[in-house]
Amino acid sequence: MDSPLLRRLRRDLFATPLDGLISIVLVVALAASAAGLLHWALVQAQWAVIQANSTLFAVGRYPLDQQWRLWLLTILLAAATGLSWGLLRALPRPDRPARLWPFNDRLAAVLLAGLALGLPLLLRLGTAIQLRWWVITALLLLARWAAGRWGRRIPDPVRRWIPLIWPLLYLLGMVLISGGLGLVNVSPSEWGGLLLTLLEASFAILLCFPLGVLLALGRRSALPLLRWGAVLYIEFIRGAPLITLLFLGQNILGFLLPGGLAPERVWRAAWVLTFFAAAYVAEAVRSGLAAVPLGQLEAARSLGLAMPQALIHVVLPQALRVALPATVGQFITLLQDTTLLSLIGLLDLLGTARTVMANPAFLGKNAEVYLVLAVLFWGCCAALGLGSRALETRLNTHSTAKA
Amino acid sequence: MATAGLPWWRNRRLIPWLVQAGVGLAVLVLVAFLVTNLVRNLTAAGLLLSWSWLDNPAGFDIAETWLPFDAGLPYWRGLLAGLVNTLRVVVLGLVGSTLLGTLAGTASFSGNALLRSLARVYVEVIRNVPLLLQLVFWYFVVFLQLPNGSAAIQIPGLVLAKSGLYLGQPELVNGVWQASMRVSVEFGALLTGLVVYTGAFIAEVVRGGVAAVPAGQWEAARSLGFSPLQTLRSIVLPQALRAIVPGLNSQYISLAKNSSLAVACGYTDLYSVAETTLNQTGRAVEVVLILLGSYLVIDLTISALMNGLNQLVQLKER
Amino acid sequence: MIEARGVEKWYPNGFHALRGVDLTVEQGEVVVIMGPSGSGKSTFLRTFNALEDFQKGAITVDGITLSDDLRHIDAIRREVGMVFQQFNLFPHLTVLENLTLAPVLVRKLPKAEVQRRALDLLERVGIAEQAHKYPGQLSGGQQQRVAIARSLCMEPRILLFDEPTSALDPEMVQEVLEVMQGLARDGMTMVVVTHEVRFARQVAHRVVLMDAGVVVESAPPEQFFANPQHERSRQFLSQIS
Repeated sequence: MDSPLLRRLRRDLFATPLDGLISIVLVVALAASAAGLLHWALVQAQWAVIQANSTLFAVGRYPLDQQWRLWLLTILLAAATGLSWGLLRALPRPDRPARLWPFNDRLAAVLLAGLALGLPLLLRLGTAIQLRWWVITALLLLARWAAGRWGRRIPDPVRRWIPLIWPLLYLLGMVLISGGLGLVNVSPSEWGGLLLTLLEASFAILLCFPLGVLLALGRRSALPLLRWGAVLYIEFIRGAPLITLLFLGQNILGFLLPGGLAPERVWRAAWVLTFFAAAYVAEAVRSGLAAVPLGQLEAARSLGLAMPQALIHVVLPQALRVALPATVGQFITLLQDTTLLSLIGLLDLLGTARTVMANPAFLGKNAEVYLVLAVLFWGCCAALGLGSRALETRLNTHSTAKA
Repeated sequence: MATAGLPWWRNRRLIPWLVQAGVGLAVLVLVAFLVTNLVRNLTAAGLLLSWSWLDNPAGFDIAETWLPFDAGLPYWRGLLAGLVNTLRVVVLGLVGSTLLGTLAGTASFSGNALLRSLARVYVEVIRNVPLLLQLVFWYFVVFLQLPNGSAAIQIPGLVLAKSGLYLGQPELVNGVWQASMRVSVEFGALLTGLVVYTGAFIAEVVRGGVAAVPAGQWEAARSLGFSPLQTLRSIVLPQALRAIVPGLNSQYISLAKNSSLAVACGYTDLYSVAETTLNQTGRAVEVVLILLGSYLVIDLTISALMNGLNQLVQLKER
Repeated sequence: MIEARGVEKWYPNGFHALRGVDLTVEQGEVVVIMGPSGSGKSTFLRTFNALEDFQKGAITVDGITLSDDLRHIDAIRREVGMVFQQFNLFPHLTVLENLTLAPVLVRKLPKAEVQRRALDLLERVGIAEQAHKYPGQLSGGQQQRVAIARSLCMEPRILLFDEPTSALDPEMVQEVLEVMQGLARDGMTMVVVTHEVRFARQVAHRVVLMDAGVVVESAPPEQFFANPQHERSRQFLSQIS
């Protein structure tokens, strides 16, 4: 009777009478909540509010006849992701696992396929749209497989330019979304839902990073004017709630620029998010810079490297490695902060949710909508956090500087 | 060192000054450009910086205030009432989130595996879901779904109803709850949301602080016959405070800043009053200055108090 | 090769670290600078490649006078290599990349050529098989040998050593000193701040004793150790032996 399982149970849950009581109460409470939630989700909840509005949640009021542009962008993104992922595995480096299909990759592939198969069915999407998602996922996995298999055969000079597809794709994505180059213009006021959330978050993440690095360098600079300027900026931003800065962006930016130069509301918010996050990223990078011993800079300088060379090739690579977890943490916060756009009248995911629930047909379906959004955000943020932790352990396997 | 005849772009001593002068000049030009535009645009709109409008009657009501306020009182009274509302939720939020955070943080060291993982799940769920989403969830899904009248949730000394939260000796009079103390569900939702959210971060701070205490302290206390809970309370926590207090400071400040999301649950705080004021007066610059200034003062106050506490904690060590 | 005249330095806090130091180092000469801690010997060494600046006096290195001219500073740093007490290898780069970084970036040499030379140098300091490891995977003695090879890869005309063996475990000191001895044999001009008496006796052409920011004595090692001329030198020698 004294099986290891029983022994473990006793040690973990019933070590003392108090422990036992706590455990029993918790088990009962958890079981009751789980049963209640399950009952609600399967019987009471009316998921039609999600199913009927899936397009609105995905892209907002993006014109129907122009949505092919977003599909095209998704296809390109899937192909680029598969290609990069495969190449990462095909070209092993000392700091990467040498296997072509490590366990995590298999898990990710299965998860991806499962999501692509399951979600469209769950959301009761139309057959045509379902098919598209299946094709896109297949394309991603196919590109991953092909790049992993034949990545090594790509000649070196070509391979070196492959990372450039990402900035190019980003610019192309901007054109596809907003129009230009012969495409019909789609006004930013028609962007919404997940599209707007991802656009604002990616824009701010991409731009706040270099800005934050510059601010951090400024804050640690020997030149007093740069140092105090950076301190003033960082502390001012960190002292203010984001909503007041967004408020400032919407209401005062128009006064600060000559008439007509002020950007569209969507872009004003994106810039405010960027400048806001930069201050926080700067603090993360600053702690990374502080962790690099002064001797590193001295060694680089005594080898004849100019100051910018020493920073780019010696100091920053080490500092950014230390700052990585905190920086990704800021990116996660930034993604969450995009929900504040709904408070200044933009239709991001949360803003879209509010308009959906203002529709008499879906009045009072708050629980369903908010729960889905919460799961979506939780998934994205938890995945980012997990990725950052994995990257961190991998980078830490070879040494950090000795003081 | 010889410097004669040296061109400026190669002079080691000159370059730092030139860089600073260049950056300073660029910033100055930018600021001058912005301010010129601001003045020109504000003049054109007839909104040049002035504070006299603060004395005009506000013309709006605030549902729930500590300071007496009605539509006939001037704007500055309204903003002040909003500020007091903000302070109320911040102060209660600090207390609540500290309690919850300490509880969850110490629970992660419990001998009970279920309790441990529950604390972990709490932190991981809360930190990865946007606060604003949590606030609207608490408000619309939890507090606004509370039953009314005799169906309300009744705990001795406390009644939770859709019409509000009643404390003291609540009694039902003609189907309406009455008590010595009532707060609105808006306030309840905001406070709950802030406490639950900040509590998760504080739990992490507490966990980190306790983990930083050397394992030898636990062993020494255990060998002296302390129970795990006694060890935690009287040996480990006092030492962990050194690492915890600075972390608490930044969490408290973010709680104060996050309270500005009150508008999402319909609670009228400083930001919400400011927004209404701007919509009525168009005084964007003044309103934003008031907002930024107020939050800066709140942040600095919290920092100052926590720095005092920090010194107290660090000194005790000696 | 190096000509320092009346070098004086004050730290920003007012401390008078160097109080008029003179030193001449000939081509191919190995000069060992000794002295108690705080005597200014490391500070003095670091003025030669402008890691520290100074307020009075003049330093000429390889015919180039140190001044506020950035071009001169860059030129001197290219010609003068430095080995640090704490090695200061770049931990995020492999051993080979540590060696090739500066020649490729500063001298703009083709990468393949630099790599060949780097491997030769690693062979010479006895760690060719570690070329693709990261510094953190090497022992202290190996790291310091890599640091020497890294300096040599820039093909300097002068090498400065700032207490190169002070951070090493005792059993690793010898392997580093042997590398330095080999360099001296090959005619490299070297200025070494160290406490290693045996190295000073066997390798140095001249020993310089510094104390309180001035040169107290400068003599060939036989004379310096057997028959010091100054009271301060005798005191110092009795302390370290």
